[in-house]
Amino acid sequence: MTSVHAHGLGADLPPGFEGRIFVRPRVGGERPFPVAHFATFPLPEEVGDFGGGAVTLMRPTDIFAVLFEYGPESLGTALFARQGMVRSLTTGDFRPTVLRRGLGGQSGTQWFFTESGRPFTFYAVLGSHARRGTLVPRVNALLDGLAVTAGAGTGDGTVPWN
Amino acid sequence: MVALVVILALVVALLAVLVAGLLRSHADILKALHDLGAGVGDPALDGDHTGHGSGHVDGHGSTSGPLTIGPPLPGERASVSAPTIAGVTPEGDARAIAVGHSDQLTLIAFLSSGCSTCAEFWAAFGRPEELGLPDGVRPVVVTKGPELEIAGELRGRARVPVIMSTEAWGDYEVPGSPFFVLVDGRSGRRIGEGVANRFAQVADLVRRAQVDAEGSGRTPAAGGPADVPADGPDGPDGPDGPDGPDGLDGPARERANDRVLRDAGILPGDPSLYPGSLDDVYGPAGGRP
Repeated sequence: MTSVHAHGLGADLPPGFEGRIFVRPRVGGERPFPVAHFATFPLPEEVGDFGGGAVTLMRPTDIFAVLFEYGPESLGTALFARQGMVRSLTTGDFRPTVLRRGLGGQSGTQWFFTESGRPFTFYAVLGSHARRGTLVPRVNALLDGLAVTAGAGTGDGTVPWN
Repeated sequence: MVALVVILALVVALLAVLVAGLLRSHADILKALHDLGAGVGDPALDGDHTGHGSGHVDGHGSTSGPLTIGPPLPGERASVSAPTIAGVTPEGDARAIAVGHSDQLTLIAFLSSGCSTCAEFWAAFGRPEELGLPDGVRPVVVTKGPELEIAGELRGRARVPVIMSTEAWGDYEVPGSPFFVLVDGRSGRRIGEGVANRFAQVADLVRRAQVDAEGSGRTPAAGGPADVPADGPDGPDGPDGPDGPDGLDGPARERANDRVLRDAGILPGDPSLYPGSLDDVYGPAGGRP
């Protein structure tokens, strides 16, 4: 199984998945935080945080997923009250209306949570809602391999390569 | 006096033997380099211009090493599988590319920061729009890992994905740099590999490999559905017609959607594309299912 690790995030990628874990370059005074993209199709070089530029490339059999970290000011808020990443999803968790960009046939799910003292959202898109029965287990396999390390990748601007 | 002459004759004879030995050794080295296609001699005399043998000459008259892009791979290869390439980027991010799980051909360039022959390829990958690769071929540069390469020297040198992974060099049995591997994502197999001096040669051979693949019934990087001829038995839109997204990948799917919208009289900027409320989508509330 292929593994990737950076910025306090890690993933054991199930077969067929590719991914990247990165922090966007700082612009002005903003503090970028780690983002992880995972996909069962070739990820373009330029992809928006939540899949802009990628979800339009999905085939019905494809999956796209994002693990996105928010700033520490989000800790303790109601939105991030859930402790721990969701690890098992059902087909009922995916809905065509839960999409950042509504594309016909696709469906998505989004979860906000706090893990290892870091606030995150997990967002996943299925290429075909009709095929969710076969695609959701693959999303769960991805979730099973995701790991978050406490205190790393907090986007405090000290990451030398960004 | 006679003894001196004899000694001088012996010395001259010994030197002659040494020189002959050196010349023989030099000739052996030249022959070995020539057999490796390292640009010694006149490769144009080799007579193999098919792109599958050695001594290829490109349009610029440059010479190259043996190029075997296109099946079959050398028999000594332990495997032709194409494992996922994972590592870090020169920027310190993590990256994994599943080259064996896509509809595309992937050209993997194994390069080093310090190899002089690699310089041209680094420059080429700094201008990806000028690579001349066929549409849909994904270029990826792989260097050795950060324990053997200095990330700072790689940063910004290429505008294609760059992954630092010593493990990948082992997985793909890379003998040295530069080295190129062509992977067919549909079969998940390496379909070619080799070395070159100029990127134009590589691009040319990738085009040939793509044609070979298409000729064998596969359509890598053509944007069509897997294992289906470009137009398929049911026409260009497949059995579901243009409305059926199944089997269409990104660009083809977008084109199909655009065509359906155009046929329905919905052109770019049409107000129906920008609903302000659910009623705009589903009609008045009473009309919803």
